[in-house]
Amino acid sequence: MTPEASPSTRFKDRAASQLVNRRLPIVIGNATDLRERRRREAFAPLDGDGLRDAAEAVRAHTLANLDTYLERFADRAQARGTKVFFAADGAEALDYVRGVVRQAGARVVAKGKSMASEEIGLGHALEADGLEVVETDLGEYIVQIAGEAPSHITAPAVHHDRAEIAELFSRTHGVELPPDPEALTAFARGVLRETFLTADVGISGVNFAIAETGSFVMVTNEGNGRMVTSLPRVHIALMGMERIVPTHRELGLLLPMLVASAGGRPVTTYFSFVNGPRRDDEPDGPDEVHIVVLDNGRSGILAGEFRSILHCIRCGACQNVCPVYRQVGGHGYGSVYAGPIGAVLTPLLSGMDRAGDLAHASSLCGACVEVCPVKIPLVEHLIGLRRLAAKHAGAGERASFFGWARAWGSARRYRFVGWAGRLGQRLVTRRGRIRRAPFPFSRWTADRDLPPLARRGFRARWKAGANGSERPDGT
Amino acid sequence: MEREAFLGRVRQSLGDAPAADLPASFPATPASGTDATAERFLAELGKAGASGSVVARYELADAVADAARALTSGAGDGDTLTAVVAPDTDEFAAEIEIGLRVAGVDVDRPDAPGWREASSRAALGVTSAELGVASTGSVLIVPGAASPRVASLLPTAHLVVMPAGRLVAGLEDAMPTVAGTADVSSAPVLVTGPSRTSDIEMITVLGVHGPKALHVLLVGEW
Repeated sequence: MTPEASPSTRFKDRAASQLVNRRLPIVIGNATDLRERRRREAFAPLDGDGLRDAAEAVRAHTLANLDTYLERFADRAQARGTKVFFAADGAEALDYVRGVVRQAGARVVAKGKSMASEEIGLGHALEADGLEVVETDLGEYIVQIAGEAPSHITAPAVHHDRAEIAELFSRTHGVELPPDPEALTAFARGVLRETFLTADVGISGVNFAIAETGSFVMVTNEGNGRMVTSLPRVHIALMGMERIVPTHRELGLLLPMLVASAGGRPVTTYFSFVNGPRRDDEPDGPDEVHIVVLDNGRSGILAGEFRSILHCIRCGACQNVCPVYRQVGGHGYGSVYAGPIGAVLTPLLSGMDRAGDLAHASSLCGACVEVCPVKIPLVEHLIGLRRLAAKHAGAGERASFFGWARAWGSARRYRFVGWAGRLGQRLVTRRGRIRRAPFPFSRWTADRDLPPLARRGFRARWKAGANGSERPDGT
Repeated sequence: MEREAFLGRVRQSLGDAPAADLPASFPATPASGTDATAERFLAELGKAGASGSVVARYELADAVADAARALTSGAGDGDTLTAVVAPDTDEFAAEIEIGLRVAGVDVDRPDAPGWREASSRAALGVTSAELGVASTGSVLIVPGAASPRVASLLPTAHLVVMPAGRLVAGLEDAMPTVAGTADVSSAPVLVTGPSRTSDIEMITVLGVHGPKALHVLLVGEW
């Protein structure tokens, strides 16, 4: 998949191509509704606001002391035999991982879910080196063999139904499989079990790294995280540098906040901890554990007004309530991070010029802010990004906003615009709606209808007294 | 990038604005609990798609036999059933041995290099657990010299035999123990129920990668 927002396509175009698929909003809607309902039920009996305040405080404190905690984590992880590599950007991270994989003489790489590896395009880079890279999360495996990107953070293959998946598996493996989730899962279990046992290198993400003990933890339901970190001889983990907690005490808060926000359960099936490679007296486990700590633009974010976007613990709750996300799905965003979090994070990581338009992929309704377990002010950040994007806006857009500001800048000009609009709309109003207007307004009406201006405006009716005789819609 | 340069860049970005302290305490989370009772633990275990029971020490062999029969019932008739038994259950070795044999399950206690191969073939893996979390039905498995990782990972089903006195109320109460395992194990894991996925049409299927079934025996006094 594309490691960052593709430079050639705009959000508008990607969204339009997604909207052609009428089934997508329905399946995404079902998946997100279910998760949001369970999230609400999980927090209903609790002090939800107090929990969010506490989680926010933990994240803010950790980020404000990030240098100290990263240093402590690195020291203690190294003391346990873990090799810690600090990568300034994606290129450095890729170089390092390729080097480790080459040194291991690897042929097959088993991959667990890792947003950081998606961010730097690791899977494709290793494939280009001639390695067999297998995604082992069932949903990720499905989209990998379909040649697609995930469409939802915790339900990557939600846009496929069982018949399509049966078709896909049957074609890829030359077998005949029924469209039955149990049978399909059992088949994938067999295929992927073989991968785990033959892979030379396992690659995983990191949900939290713990500074005090130099440990890190992965949150999974399937158990593939435990597989990729236990069976291959070499384990490489990737983490964004903000993904750290001071001690296990904070994990006691953040793990259930992450899991319950994602789908309502208090815990997932596996919280898998890694405390370094196999010890001398242990019968199994990897001989080498590497962890790549990735900056890749994060230190820049840390310095400015958007710092709190790094509070994110990747639960996906903001996606589940986002009306834009529900329509266009993960693919519409054309980036690793989708939904409200993606609309803020992607432009910050890949640059305003490449992905600045994602800041407009929001209605600013604020539903995401209400559900965020670490209280990221996503709407404020979206507006802040739009402010930045305005600096890149074309001359036409700047001129129209300048004109708008001028027109509404005085009472006289405002009245004039209202008069001109009421006159002009008579030509284009059909059955009470403006459906097609001339350029430049056609850019709006191409996708939306517009209600006409009321025949008499608020000011006129105010002057006439509260019980104006006309109906408010001017008919 | 050199570690010092990397951390220097972070330090510079942070500036010297004062940082807020960590909160002294947290409100109850969705994984918090007030009672460390076996009843609560078993109820939550059931919700997680697993099963369990409290047994007195004298009932243990029978309980192991029943659990082994139930956990291996999915296997075909002609299959030879084996169980790998991790040494961390040694305090209950006699009862486990008898129970498994009564259920018709062969016991395999491989040498260190043989664990992976044996566990791959086994219908059942038997391990202990360091603690149980009553509010979530989780068990803390601590692999190490006496408990290979693969014993709780590769077999088709997982049987935990642990002393009943190791329950804590909530997830946060387990955290000090989890932190302590960093010094004794390279890969401790909190396990809640069998491996599961809902990646196909959001339908829950158990046993995608790890064990398909889990049973926990909480062993009480004689």
